[in-house]
Amino acid sequence: MIHRKLSLAAAVVTATALSLTACSGGDAPAADLTSVSIMAPFLEAQPPAADGAVQKKLEELTGKQVKINWAPNASYEDKTNITLAGSDIPQVMVIQGKTPGFVKNAQAGAFWDLTDKLDKYPNLKTTFPDIQKNASVNGKVYGVFRGRSPMRAAVMFRQDWLDKLGLQPPKTTEDLYKVAEAFTEQDPDGNGVNDTYGITIPKWGALGTNSPYDLIEEWYGAGNRWTERDGKLIPSFETDEFLEADRFIKKMVDEKLINPDFATFDSTKWNEPFFNGKGGIIVDVDSRVSVLINLFKQADPTNFQNKVGFVGNLEGPDGKLHAHPTDGYSGFLAIPKASVKSEPELDKVLAFLNTVNGKDVAVLLNNGIEGVNFSVEAGKAATIKPETPEGKAVTTDIKSYAQLGMNVAGNEFYPVKQASDYEQQVFDKRTDVMAQDLKSAVYNPAAPYVSATYVAKGAQLDNIVADARIKYLAGQIDEQGLKDAIKLWDTSGGNKVKEEINKLWQDNK
Amino acid sequence: MAAPVIDTLAGERTRRTAPAPRNGGRFSVHFAHYKWLYLLLLPGVVYFAVFRYAPMYGVSIAFKDYVPFLGVNGSPWVGFRNFEDFFANPDFPRLLGNTLILAFLNLGVAFPLTIILALLLNEVRLSILKRTVQTLVYIPHFLSWTIVASLSFLLFALDIGPLFQFLNNAMGTHVDFLSDPAWFRPLIVLQEIWKNTGWGTIIFLAALSTVDQDQYEAAIIDGAGRFRRVWHITLPAIRSTIIVMLILAIGQMLNTGFEQIYLMTNALNREVADVFDTYVYFVGITQGAYSYSTAVGLFKSLVGIVLIFGTNWLAKRFNQSGLF
Repeated sequence: MIHRKLSLAAAVVTATALSLTACSGGDAPAADLTSVSIMAPFLEAQPPAADGAVQKKLEELTGKQVKINWAPNASYEDKTNITLAGSDIPQVMVIQGKTPGFVKNAQAGAFWDLTDKLDKYPNLKTTFPDIQKNASVNGKVYGVFRGRSPMRAAVMFRQDWLDKLGLQPPKTTEDLYKVAEAFTEQDPDGNGVNDTYGITIPKWGALGTNSPYDLIEEWYGAGNRWTERDGKLIPSFETDEFLEADRFIKKMVDEKLINPDFATFDSTKWNEPFFNGKGGIIVDVDSRVSVLINLFKQADPTNFQNKVGFVGNLEGPDGKLHAHPTDGYSGFLAIPKASVKSEPELDKVLAFLNTVNGKDVAVLLNNGIEGVNFSVEAGKAATIKPETPEGKAVTTDIKSYAQLGMNVAGNEFYPVKQASDYEQQVFDKRTDVMAQDLKSAVYNPAAPYVSATYVAKGAQLDNIVADARIKYLAGQIDEQGLKDAIKLWDTSGGNKVKEEINKLWQDNK
Repeated sequence: MAAPVIDTLAGERTRRTAPAPRNGGRFSVHFAHYKWLYLLLLPGVVYFAVFRYAPMYGVSIAFKDYVPFLGVNGSPWVGFRNFEDFFANPDFPRLLGNTLILAFLNLGVAFPLTIILALLLNEVRLSILKRTVQTLVYIPHFLSWTIVASLSFLLFALDIGPLFQFLNNAMGTHVDFLSDPAWFRPLIVLQEIWKNTGWGTIIFLAALSTVDQDQYEAAIIDGAGRFRRVWHITLPAIRSTIIVMLILAIGQMLNTGFEQIYLMTNALNREVADVFDTYVYFVGITQGAYSYSTAVGLFKSLVGIVLIFGTNWLAKRFNQSGLF
């Protein structure tokens, strides 16, 4: 299937190349940059219109003609590679992550190395050098990272169930077990039938994807994907804490505190059991709190409060808080050498990005246009005119334009004002809890490093352990089987990955 | 004027039996004579050249270390390294095994069922009933694999699916059909049967409609029962159709279908579920190993060609009419 898709793509590329030989690569670069072309993904059903209000405002604020080539999020990675192989390459490309494809291209010289350049631009100079390092390829910065708040892990539970059973919100993993047990066995919905599960976990196996498994393992102290032990970096699944955490999860699976179909349950239906009163706890990102509150609000607009409670990261059995952060970025904006050919040109493109990351444009990209879809109330963006066509169009468009936001020095735009006082309280509490947890964050020490072996076959290797973890939890294999799978990871190439990562880590220390 | 029989794809020659133009068949004269026929041929040739042959250029990346930035031409050649990597990969025996087992199950179970269903339908004498049933058994074919998979998830869902409850009560055990590796293959074959058996009967029913009814009458007079008539008249009549369909099916053997298997795979049954098609997706798209996955795809296609020619050759050796 792929090879057909690929060969078609190759044909298209060849055909385009043939038809473009006459005008070799499009316009010659103008001495002064009047227009900038950007490739970015859109996550909505439709890309924003080229003549929309946001687009016009963006061009007005930057003083450049901005041509954005929107590509659907689902096939964005394919589109990136095809674009790079073609002749019509944009000056700025949104890259969604350090995928093997990107790393290969970058190492072959497709993008400008920005390591020593960004500090010259006030809006591109980051206040989070660690995140910039995480986003780099072995210390080389190939793009301006798109900052995201790193602390997002939360435990959400049915507050009404908790109140009914007279329990306290969990603080430790042991509490989590107790609440889950009570939610399963003490009939929290009061219907007299034993039909509830404590925790709902969806089909979500891959390692290092901030899954509930990853979170609990980190809370146990296993580290975040990689961890330092005896002066060396090892994958977190090679620690004793990893096995301990999985034993803990397996205990909950065996006692039916977790939905038994966790290996096949579709993650898009994750909210349903919670909302329908079948499962009382979700371990995921804190933004799900608002999603859940909204579900209850839609069902009962007057009486939706106090259904959803949440806490942040949980203390592990060692009595310490090992909070789980993400790497703090979601891809980056890279500048291809094929379209930006010289350093002076590069400076102009970077100057443009500097404007884009300034406060005015950041507000435009994330909040919209003041007076059209929002107004500022006490430092917050309150939604206005959501039903007018203009307001609606801007609100929809900024969901795509936000993809250009870099926020390397934190968010310059206004936080969104919530719809009701209750929701505002919950939102503020979320912000507080996450800020508090961030102090105990345990980051992935190997995040900046890309090992050649891992690029070649890391995902297959990781699958060995990820599948074994699920099999172990489901009872298909025992703990020895899980240990064997981890050994197999080592011998199938994992040892080499460890060696390369450790070397890179030592060299960059 | 009889139309000439065009012999080759490009239509550069016609058979000698075609009426020869004057002046001894020099190409330009010949061309001028038949220009309208060549014009008719042109869209077909262009279509195949542009959409079927030109893309094959992309296959060359199977022999390269393809980096999109460097392009197909700029990427360095690596010879057969991608193929060597694949055959030396510990995944290879497992993938080959899974693919072949599924292929043979489909060939051994689903394929004969289409013939049996066609024979059964053929025996229905009440025309309106026959046509209604025929239409009804086609319908599942038009549902996408996504819908078939969703239906399976609903029916077999752990603890709540009706089929889950029924089967587990009947067997007195507790089997999670959706994630138990032992049930993966039976489920896949069942889905295939449910979805495609009715559709597969079409061609056999068409072949059956041409059987000479006099033979049946003669057989009845000779005292042949229903089973005898099917065995000695109906089956031989569609034998060549069966052979052709079998050759085509064998050529498609390694194409176990991506969608169905991808949708039914989970961490617990991956061991038996991984086939070439899903592997190519996993390695190619999710990891960006384009050259490697193209090599795997190319290997699959080559095996398909060999299988088609092989079965065709075998069929001819046993005095059956082959495909070509």
